Amino acid sequence: MVIQALAFYLFAALAVASGVMVISARNPVHSVLFLILAFFNAAGLFVLIGAEFLAMILVVVYVGAVAVLFLFVVMMLDINFAELREGFLQYLPIGALIGLILAAELILIFGTWIVAPDVGQALTAPILPPDQVTNTHALGRIIYTDYIYLFQASGLILLIAMIGAIVLTLRHRPGVRRQKIADQVSRRPEDVIEVRDVTTGSGV
Amino acid sequence: MNIAVDISAIWPELFMAVAAMVMLMYGAFRGEGATRFVTWAGVLVLVVAALLVLAGPAGKTTAFNGQFVVDAFAVFAKVLLIAGAALALILAQPYNMREDIKQFEYPILIVFAVLGMMMMVSANDLLSLYVGLELQSLALYVVAAIRRDNLRSSEAGLKYFVLGALSSGILLYGMSLIYGFAGTTSFDGLAAAFATDSDAPVGVIVGLVFIAAGLAFKVSAVPFHMWTPDVYEGAPTPVTAFFAVAPKIAAMALFVRVMLEPFGDLVAEWQQVIWFISLASMILGSFAAIVQTNIKRLMAYSSIGHMGFVLVGLAAGNETGVQGILLYLTIYVFMNIGTFACILAMRRQGRMVEDIDQLAGLSKTNPYLAAALAVFMFSMAGIPPLAGFFAKFYVFLAAIEAGLYVLTVVGLLTSVVGAYYYLRIVKLMYFDEPAEAFDRAPGREITVIVTVTGLITMFFFIGLAPVLDGAEAAAAVLF
Amino acid sequence: MIELAVFLPLAGGLIAGIFGVRMGDRAAQLVTVIPMLIAAILSSYLLWHVGIQGNERTIELFTWIDSGTLELSWALRVDTLTAVMMFVVNVVSSMVHVYSVGYMSHDPHKPRFMAYLSLFTFFMLALVTADNFVQMFFGWEGVGLMSYLLIGFWSGRPSANAAAIKAFVVNRVGDFGFMLGIFGVFFAFGTLDFDTVFAAVPEVAGRTFSFLSMELDIVTTLCFLLFIGAMGKSAQIGLHTWLPDAMEGPTPVSALIHAATMVTAGVFMVVRLSPMFEFAPIALTFIVFIGGSTAFFAATIGLTQFDIKRVIAYSTCSQLGYMFFAVGVGAYPAAIFHLMTHAFFKALLFLGAGSVIHGMDDEQDMRKMGGLFSKMKVTASLMWIGSLALAGVPFFAGFWSKDVILESAFAAHTGMGLYAFWAGIAAALMTAFYSWRLLFLTFHGRTRADDHTFDHAHESPPVMILPLVVLALGAIFSGWLAADYFVGHHLDEFWRSSILMTHNIIEEAHHVPKWVKFLPIVVGAVGIVLAWVMYIAKPGWPAKFVAMVRPIHSFVFNKWFFDELYDRIFVRPSFVLGRGLWKSGDGAVIDGVGPDGIAAAAKDIAGRASRMQSGFVYHYAFAMLIGLVLLASWFLFGFFG
Repeated sequence: MVIQALAFYLFAALAVASGVMVISARNPVHSVLFLILAFFNAAGLFVLIGAEFLAMILVVVYVGAVAVLFLFVVMMLDINFAELREGFLQYLPIGALIGLILAAELILIFGTWIVAPDVGQALTAPILPPDQVTNTHALGRIIYTDYIYLFQASGLILLIAMIGAIVLTLRHRPGVRRQKIADQVSRRPEDVIEVRDVTTGSGV
Repeated sequence: MNIAVDISAIWPELFMAVAAMVMLMYGAFRGEGATRFVTWAGVLVLVVAALLVLAGPAGKTTAFNGQFVVDAFAVFAKVLLIAGAALALILAQPYNMREDIKQFEYPILIVFAVLGMMMMVSANDLLSLYVGLELQSLALYVVAAIRRDNLRSSEAGLKYFVLGALSSGILLYGMSLIYGFAGTTSFDGLAAAFATDSDAPVGVIVGLVFIAAGLAFKVSAVPFHMWTPDVYEGAPTPVTAFFAVAPKIAAMALFVRVMLEPFGDLVAEWQQVIWFISLASMILGSFAAIVQTNIKRLMAYSSIGHMGFVLVGLAAGNETGVQGILLYLTIYVFMNIGTFACILAMRRQGRMVEDIDQLAGLSKTNPYLAAALAVFMFSMAGIPPLAGFFAKFYVFLAAIEAGLYVLTVVGLLTSVVGAYYYLRIVKLMYFDEPAEAFDRAPGREITVIVTVTGLITMFFFIGLAPVLDGAEAAAAVLF
Repeated sequence: MIELAVFLPLAGGLIAGIFGVRMGDRAAQLVTVIPMLIAAILSSYLLWHVGIQGNERTIELFTWIDSGTLELSWALRVDTLTAVMMFVVNVVSSMVHVYSVGYMSHDPHKPRFMAYLSLFTFFMLALVTADNFVQMFFGWEGVGLMSYLLIGFWSGRPSANAAAIKAFVVNRVGDFGFMLGIFGVFFAFGTLDFDTVFAAVPEVAGRTFSFLSMELDIVTTLCFLLFIGAMGKSAQIGLHTWLPDAMEGPTPVSALIHAATMVTAGVFMVVRLSPMFEFAPIALTFIVFIGGSTAFFAATIGLTQFDIKRVIAYSTCSQLGYMFFAVGVGAYPAAIFHLMTHAFFKALLFLGAGSVIHGMDDEQDMRKMGGLFSKMKVTASLMWIGSLALAGVPFFAGFWSKDVILESAFAAHTGMGLYAFWAGIAAALMTAFYSWRLLFLTFHGRTRADDHTFDHAHESPPVMILPLVVLALGAIFSGWLAADYFVGHHLDEFWRSSILMTHNIIEEAHHVPKWVKFLPIVVGAVGIVLAWVMYIAKPGWPAKFVAMVRPIHSFVFNKWFFDELYDRIFVRPSFVLGRGLWKSGDGAVIDGVGPDGIAAAAKDIAGRASRMQSGFVYHYAFAMLIGLVLLASWFLFGFFG
C-alpha cells in the first residue's frame, strides 16, 4: 500500500507539474514534450487503479499518434508562439482570480462530499468481477453490447471529423504532378520508347 | 434488452446515418458534379426521416438500456428541427450554386448535424446527450467554415470551434460532478436519486450549474452568447439560417428535457439559473440589436432575445411553460427561415448585401419582398394577430402562472425595445428614399419559401389549435 | 322582420362602402336604395303591427358585454315608441336615398355617399331599438360619426371640414354629459338595462348622494346629465352652434340627419327615459325652460338669415325647442307626434330647398333668387305645402301637433309652462313670417338672379320630385291620420307602457280655453300676412325696418353672438393652452424625459452591449467563465450562506 501511495503521489505530482510546464514553457517543442510526459503520468495513474487497457491506449494513441503529430505540426509551422503569448500576462490577474474562485468553490464542494444514498444500487456493475476477466476483455464485452449505441455514435463523430478535415483542407491544385500508380503500371514500353537505328556519325 | 425494440426506436436515426454515408460515397466518386443531386437527396432524406419519426412507436419507448428515448416530446422536437433543417437546406441550394460553394459534403454535414440533434433530443443518459451534442457540434463547426477561402467564414468556424470546445469541457465537467455525486448517468436513475432526497448534495447543484452553462452556450443564452454574432455574421448566410433554427430547437429541447426529467425535483435550484440567463438574454438581445448595422448580426441578437423569451417558459417549469416553448419554437422556425430567405434575396449585382440601410425603400423597388419581410418583422416584434404574438403570449402566460412576475414584466418591456429595431427595418423599407434595387429573381426556391413561411406567419392563428394540442401532448410527457 | 328592418341598411351600407368603387355608381345606388325601401315598407307595417295591434316585443340577439357585474345583451326593443321612430327614420331615409340618386348625380363619390347614408340609418335604428343605455350610446356615437363624415363629405372645402369638426366637438360636450349620466346610472342602479332601471327608479327617487359636500338628488342629477347629452344632439340653446354650420353638408344630409332624424334623437332619448324623468321634476322644469328659450331664440335668428338652408336650419332648431318643452311639461306623446310630423314637413322643406339649389347651380342665397315659381312649379307647390304644415295652418300636419304642444304648455299651469307657452306663440308668429319670407323671396316677386342663372333654372328630375311628393303627402295627412292615436282618444292603448305619464296632461290640454286653441292659428295668419306685406306688397319696408332697429337686428343677425362668445371663452384659450402644453409640456418635459430620454438611454446601453463584442476569442471565453463562476458562486453562497 505504501508503495502504491508513493507511486500515486509521484505520478500525480509529475502530471500536474508537466501540465503547468505545457502552458508555461517558452519553446513550443518543449511544451509538446511536457505534454507527452503528462500523458505518461496519467497512464501510470490508470495502471494504479487497475485500468491497464486504458493506460496502454493512452500511451499508444495519445503519445504515439496525437502528440507526435503535434510535434510535427509545431516544428513544421512557422509560428512565433512567444508573440502569440504576449497578451497573456495582461489577462493573468483576472484569469487567476477566476481560477482561484473556482478552485475554492470546488474545494468547498468536495469538503461536503455527500454521495446520494442510492448510489450503491445505481452502480450495479455491468462487468464481471476483475478476477474473472481482464479489463480489456470486460470492455470488449460491454462496448459492443450494452454501449453499442454510444460506440457507434462515437464512430460517427470520428467520421464527421474526418469529413471536416478533408472538406476544409483538401485542395486540388492544378499543375501538381501526382503519382498515378495505375498509369505507371499500365505503361507499355512501346508507348514511350521509340527504338531507332541511328547510323553512326549522322546524329539523331 | 430487446434488439427489435431498440431498432424500431432508432429507425429514423439509423436511416439517416446510412443514407448520409451512401450520399458520401456517391459524392466521393462523382466529385463536385454531384452537389446538386446530393443536396436534393439530403432534403429527401430529411423528409423521409421526418416521416419515419412520425411513424415511430407511440407512447414512451426507451432503447439501448435506457440511453435513448422516444416520446411525444422528442417526436415534436424532431419533426420541428427536421423541418427547419430541410427548409434551410433548400434555401442553401441557389446560394451555394451562385457563391461557388461546390462541396457536396455540405448537405451531408447538414444531415449528420441533424442526426446529432435528433440524438440530443432523444438522449436519456448524460453520455448519449454528450455524444449527440458533439456529433452535431462538430458538423456545425465545419459548415460554419465551409467557405474556407473566405477569411470571415474561417474565423467564424474557428471561433465557434474553440468556444464550443470550452463549453463542451464545462458540460463534461458538470456531468462528471453529477456522476460522482449521484453514481449514475442515466436520466431515470438521476430522477430516482433526487426524488428520494429532498436536499440534493451541493456537488450535484454545482454540476447542474455547469451543465446548464454548457447547454446555455448551445442555445446562445447570455452570458454564453458571445460567439453568436460573430459566427452568424461570418458564416455563409444559408449556414446562418440553419444555425438560427435547427441547433436552437435541438439544444432547447435537450435543455428542457435535462432540466425537467433528471432534475425535475430540483426545480427550486435550477429555476434561479434559468431565470437569470433568461433575463440577461432578453435584455441584451433587445438592446444590443439596436445599434447593429449588419442584418445578420441583428438576427444574431434577435435570436439571443428570442431564446431569452423561450427560457422564460423553462423558468416557469410547468406544463404550460413547456407547451409555450414548443409553440414558440414552432413559430420561431417559420419566422426565422422566412427572414433569412428574405436576406438571401438581398443581392445587388451578383453580390450579397448585408447592410440594413440597403433595405431603404425596398417597398418601391421590390414590394413583394418588402411586404414579406415586414410580416416577419411584425411577427418577431410580437404584434397580433401574427404568429409571433402567440409565441410570446403563451410563454408569458406560463410565467405568470408560475408567479414569475419580474421576468414577465422585463420580458414585456424588452419586447417593446425589440419592436424598435424590428420596426426600424419596416420603416426603412416603407418610408425611406429607395436605394438601388436588388437583383431580380432571387431564385424559385427562395420565392417559394418566402411565400410559404410568410403565409404561415400571417395565418398561424388558424392552425393554432392543433399545434397547441400537439405541444400540450408533448409537454405532458415530461411531467 | 324587425331584424331585417334594422340590418338591411347596414348590409347595403357595408356592401356599397366596401365594394363601391368596384361595383360602380349605379350598382352602389341600387344596393343601398332597395334595402332602404324594403326597410321602409317593413317599418310601416311594424308601426301598424306594434302600435295599433299592440304586439310589443324585445328580441335578444346576443350577449354583448359580460364583464363583472356589467352584463349587456344586444337586443332589439320594439314597442310603440320605437315603432314610430323606426317608421320615421326608415321612411324619411328611404326618400332621402332616392332623392340623393338625383341630387348627387354630378358627384364623383356616389358610392361613398350612399354608404354613409345607409350606415347612418343603421346607427339611428340601433339607437331607437336600444334596450339598454350602452346600445343607445353606440347608436348615439355612430350617428355622430356619420354626421361628421357627411357634413365633411365635400372634404375639399375648408368650411365643410371646419363645420364637421365643430359639429363633432360640440356634440362631444353633450356626449360627455350623456356618458357621465350612463356611468351614474350604473353607479346608482348597478345595471344599464332599461327595464331594470325603470323598475328601480321609484325606489331610488328622493335619495341623495354627496358630491363636493353638496347633497344632490340622484335621479335629478342623472336626468340633468342625460339631458345635456340630448341638448348637444338636438342643438338646444347653448349647444346649438353646430347645427347651422352643418348645412355645409350636401342637402340630402341636412334633410335626413339635421332635420328629421339625428337631431331628434335627444327628444327620443328623453321620452324613452320618461320613467326616469317623471321622477325628476326639477330637471323637467329646466327642460321646459331650455325648450321654450330655444324655440324663441332660434326663430328670431331665422327671421334675418338669407341662406335658404340656414333659415330652415334655425327653424329646425326652433321646432326642436317645441318638442323639448312638450317633453318638459310631461306631454311626451305630443313631443313624439310633433317629431313625426316635423320629420315629414322639414325633410320636405330641405329637399325642396335642395331642389331649388340644384336647379340654380348651387346658389343658396335667397337675395339672388325670386320669381322662380314659373321655372319650378312642382317644387314651389311642394315647398308651399311644407311651409303650410310648418306654420301650423289648420288641417296640415303641423297644426295638429303644434297646437297640442302649446295647449299642453298652457295646461301645465306652472310659471315655466306659461313662459314656454308665450315663447311658443311668439315663435309661431315668427315661424309663419320667415317661412313665407322664404317662399316669397325664392319663388315670387321679380327675380334678382342674373340672367344666365335664371334662364338655366330648371325643374328637378322625377327621381328627386317623387320623394318630395311622398313627403308632402306625409306633411298633409300625417297629422290628421295620427292625431287620434298619438294624442287623441286612443292615446293610452296606443302608447301603452312605452311612455310613462304620471298625470295625463294631454287630457287637460283638450280642455283649455278657446282662445288658447285659436291663438296659434291667428298668429300664424298674422305672420303670413306680414310677410306678404313686407316682401310682396312693399318690398322697401324690410330695409327701412332694419335701419330702425339696427342694434337689435345686428344682434339677431349675428346669431346672438354665440359663435363669437364661444370663440373668446373656449376656442382661443383652448388653442393657447393646447399649444402651451404641446410645446413645453409634451415636447420639452414628456418627450425629453420620456420617449426621447429613454430612447437615448437605450441607445447608450446598446452601444455598450455591442462594444463588449470585441471579436477576440479569449474575451469571449473569459465572459463565459466569469458567467459560469458567478452562477456557481451564487448557488454556493445560497447553499452555505
